Amino acid sequence: MNSEIFSAVVLAKDQLQKILDDLSVGFITPTEESKDTSILPPFKKLGVLIDLEDIEDEETKIPIWKNVVNTKTTQSQYYSCIQCRRQLPTAHLLDLHITEQHDLYFAASVERGDKPHYTCYIEECPLKFFQPADRKDHCIKVHKFPANYRFDQGKTPNKAKIRTKKATNVMDVHNDRDVTMDLSDERVPNIKAFSFGHPTQRTFNSRKDKALIDMRAMKEALDDME
Amino acid sequence: MEGTPLSSNTVAASVQISDTALRLRIREYARQQRKELRTNTTDALRFGLGQIKDKISELENLSIRDVHGMASRIKRRKHATSEDMYRLSHAFLQGNENINAFAGVQGATQVIIKEFTGTQMQRQIEAAECLCNYSLGDAHVCEKITTMAGSYLVTFLDNQEPRLKRSCLWTLANILATCSKSASMLLQMQLASKLWKLYTLPASDTHGYQEDAGICLHLIATRAAASIREEDRRYIAENLHKKQSGETAAEYYMYIVFQLELVNRERDLCAAHFQHLLDFFMENVNFDPSTVAGKLRIVYGVRVIANIFATGPANCQLELQADQLVHALNKLFALREPGLTQDLMQLLKNLIGAQLLDNELLMEHIRVYA
Repeated sequence: MNSEIFSAVVLAKDQLQKILDDLSVGFITPTEESKDTSILPPFKKLGVLIDLEDIEDEETKIPIWKNVVNTKTTQSQYYSCIQCRRQLPTAHLLDLHITEQHDLYFAASVERGDKPHYTCYIEECPLKFFQPADRKDHCIKVHKFPANYRFDQGKTPNKAKIRTKKATNVMDVHNDRDVTMDLSDERVPNIKAFSFGHPTQRTFNSRKDKALIDMRAMKEALDDME
Repeated sequence: MEGTPLSSNTVAASVQISDTALRLRIREYARQQRKELRTNTTDALRFGLGQIKDKISELENLSIRDVHGMASRIKRRKHATSEDMYRLSHAFLQGNENINAFAGVQGATQVIIKEFTGTQMQRQIEAAECLCNYSLGDAHVCEKITTMAGSYLVTFLDNQEPRLKRSCLWTLANILATCSKSASMLLQMQLASKLWKLYTLPASDTHGYQEDAGICLHLIATRAAASIREEDRRYIAENLHKKQSGETAAEYYMYIVFQLELVNRERDLCAAHFQHLLDFFMENVNFDPSTVAGKLRIVYGVRVIANIFATGPANCQLELQADQLVHALNKLFALREPGLTQDLMQLLKNLIGAQLLDNELLMEHIRVYA
């Protein structure tokens, strides 16, 4: 066929049919054509040149702690958790962080343990796991992540970062959430008082050794009453 | 008298039309200028290995000894300052021996990666640019970068900071071009899906990641197509329609589709996908076949379409586009390029075999040159 190509005569229908009869229906595969690199655009490895003046300018202009806005693009760069101020590089990682660290419903679902909840660190990977350790193993084995992946949610966060935003409003009921969540827990925090903005505290009993301190005893007492 | 209001209306309408056209042109001009300026601030600063010495004669010459000194210092302090990273970046650009010297110092690369994954964005950008220059090294250096920082390079593709994101893309391109083992490792991190997302960003996105993502995908398609994960292949197949022929870096599209064997291996492709590929091909035919981009579009477009017909698509409504297809094929046969003609003959055979058109009529209208 190649020898016939360059003459400018249009093939007759039967000639074309004859050529086509010699071919069979099939795929053109890359392995056959992989040697044909002449039409591929050339690629040259390139580095990048940093301008030191840029670095010095930015260092003098921006305080070291101010990491929120890029001077060139004025875009917020980090995804930060509003509760613990942890900064994460992607929306997916922040999503995982908020769900796993601050979502009580998620915690309750995990405790129930009926289905896997821990999503893979790679957004495109659809797998979920029962334990953070399983996810870590998966990321290391399948996705070739380093064992000390920096954005691992299973890691204990820095003390400075876990400081939650403390409620300053005196109208709040202290520790009420903890009481409702951890009824069965031995370490039930002491419910001190309800405060309505007045210096005088109003409480059922301020003594720690009785009443509301031992929630289990309280519960048993209520059961007995019934 | 009656003609006056009509003519004034016509004038008003024509003024309004020209006004709108002018506004559109100004808007387009402003968009182009913004894009150009952005490109100038990024792409203009790129150099190949050793090229910097020829371009900037007054540059400080950094030897292996200097690199050893800097590596020891950052290791001792467990931290690299902006100036350290700046000097290291320059040293890497100056020659491969500097890169090898740094790679030989145990624990030095970890310090750069620590800065790269830190919480100060400026340092992260500098570390990313340092890693980009470091990736100019040989395969063993690229392997080291991939093992230690590959997951972060892939993660930061979802970051919002354009300079960091772009540096990651450049580093990934250098690694993919150097070492197939590293490429395979990066593909395990589902890099291909992330790259496809960037590649198919809408044309309105002026950051221009499409070009860099297209280059990375083209490198994967050339060197590591066999290592691509099935999930990635499926993701790309499902999102084939998100790239249009007129968009940035669309010349790589058909090449990627062909090399990744999306048509042959993905059984879930539907009639809409085939239609999109066919429309893409029809538009590709209008490009100049003498340019590299045009050739890439046409040659691989023909192969992809030939493979589509080989699958025998049942729901493909080709009758409506029969004239257009015959015209496109005749135009390509008329180029009389041996390799292309061979692929076109295979396409024709597959088309006839698929029984999508009146084959008799098709044979009458096709013009193949002897």
